[in-house]
Parts: sequence; structure tokens; C-alpha cells
Amino acid sequence: MKFLVVDDSKLARLSLIKTLKEYEPTAECIEAENGAVAVELFKAESPRVVFLDLTMPVMDGYEALKLMMQIDSNAQVVVVSADIQTQAQVQVLALGAKLMVPKPINSDKMLGILQQLVF
Amino acid sequence: MKIEEFSSDHLDVLKELMNIAMGNATASIADLLQAFGTMHIPHLTITDMDGLKSQINHTISADEKYYVTKQLFGGIIGGEFIFVMTDESAANLGHYLYDVSQPSDADIMDAVIELTNILSSTIISRLTEELNTKVQFFAPSTQIISGNHIIGQDETLNYHKIIIVSTEMEFQSHKISGYIFILARDETITRLRELIDQKLEELYA
Repeated sequence: MKFLVVDDSKLARLSLIKTLKEYEPTAECIEAENGAVAVELFKAESPRVVFLDLTMPVMDGYEALKLMMQIDSNAQVVVVSADIQTQAQVQVLALGAKLMVPKPINSDKMLGILQQLVF
Repeated sequence: MKIEEFSSDHLDVLKELMNIAMGNATASIADLLQAFGTMHIPHLTITDMDGLKSQINHTISADEKYYVTKQLFGGIIGGEFIFVMTDESAANLGHYLYDVSQPSDADIMDAVIELTNILSSTIISRLTEELNTKVQFFAPSTQIISGNHIIGQDETLNYHKIIIVSTEMEFQSHKISGYIFILARDETITRLRELIDQKLEELYA
């Protein structure tokens, strides 16, 4: 199963992938360091689930989410962000994200995400 | 220590942890102001006093008056939290928090101190929590000074090699914003590196 992990922090990407592989050891993970790269990879690779950060250089997560939903209105995008404001959550869910999870990601949060979107 | 010993991985970890800490602080201030705050990507630099002055000059207008709050913290890691707000932002904050059209100087000062207290305690506490350590806070002090006096004699004497974490707090709807600088002392850089190494070891285990 293919996952797209989008974050400008290498640590955040590594940490998320490590946690994901606890439950999906064979997961194929593609990485992007900003929204613009992510949108291109999303088009080319059609991942099953996208883990998307919000605060990134070049193109932020809000813009990337909008474009991904235009490409595929059924896209399974999980926003993983340090921005834990209620309004940020309302905004990303309105744009089409399936879930919003506060950083840092951990095993319990990952299990919850996978149970809702994959298993 | 040499700057080279603080690698791009260390900076990446610190930047990500700062991002998480800033997210918590933004949410707390958003609750206080009942507004949405725009999050900005934190910038990290390892530099000396000249580099700090240059970075502040690049961000802050030298002749404009600012409300500048400084708070020291100490423990396994130690340093200084500096929050800089323009006159206009501070007045808007006073106006909003006190619900009066013309807040007094004392109201504005009180509002700035309250906001800075939430910001510094949330950011530094969360940052240190993520690094599995804790710090003690000292009483903050707020002054109204021009941009070219933000860095004073104390900083010049106490800091030589510094990690500067800088970011912006921005609530556009209320026209309230401010700049945040966190200065980490020379010896803290080594301790920070050790704490981040532990974090990286856990990640790569």
C-alpha cells in the first residue's frame, strides 16, 4: 500500500514513517518536503493515504490539500500539524481532509488513523 | 563547541520541536483573542552577537518604538525568551483584552506582559517537554524601547555563541503580531545537541 508523507521536517517524516510501519510493515512510503512536490507526487503516484503538514515553505498544506482534492475528490488526506487551533481544523476538514491529527504523531494516533481509513 | 558539531539533522529536529511548541502557543493565544493565528515557519541560526544584532536589525526597524519583554529561563538548558511588539500591536492588544477604545498605558503594558507570559511559558515548556527535560522561569521584564536598543549590555556579556530561534506571532483580524527570539547560551548548545542526539537515537532505533 502506498502512502505519501509530506512535511518540511525530515525528522517529522521519519518519525511518521516509523510509526506507520509498526502497523503496515510493507507500506511503500513516498516523501515530499513541501506542498508543490507533494501535489506532483500525488498526481504521479496516486497514494492510498496522504499525511500532510500545514506549515511548509514553497506551498503550504492548505493549498496542497485544495489541489489534491481538485485532482481526486475522494483523496484520503490526513492533516498532521502542530497548528492545533479549532479554526485550522474546521478549515482543513471543509477543504476535504478526512482527519486532522496534532503533532507529534505516536502509535495510538497512527492506529486510530489506520483504523478509520485503511483497516 | 564548533558550529559544525551541530548538524543539519540537529537543526531540523529543533525546528520541528519549535514548530510543535509554537502550535501550542498559537492555540492558547487564539483562545485568549478568540481569533485565528497564522503560523510561520521558525528560523534557526547559530551565530555570535554580531549575527544576532544583524538578524534583529533585519527584522525590526531601528528607530521605531517597541514593547520588548525579556524572560530568562534556566535548568539543563538555559537562555532568554524575547518578545517584540510594535506600539500599534500592543495598543490593539490592550484594546481587545480590556474591551476599551483607548486603553491606558498601564493596561497596554499589562496586556503585553500577560500575552508574553502565555507565549514564553507555553513555547519553552513544550519545547523542553519534547526534549525530556524541564526549565525554571525567571520574572519577565517589559520595556518600551527603540529597535536598536533591543540587544543590551546583558546579552552582549552573557552570550557568545548563540542559537537563535526566531518566528512570528500573527493574528491578522485583530492587527496583533509580534516577533519571538529565543537565545540559547553557549553551554546550552552542547546540552541541546546531547538531548537531540537522544531523540535521534530513539528515532533510528
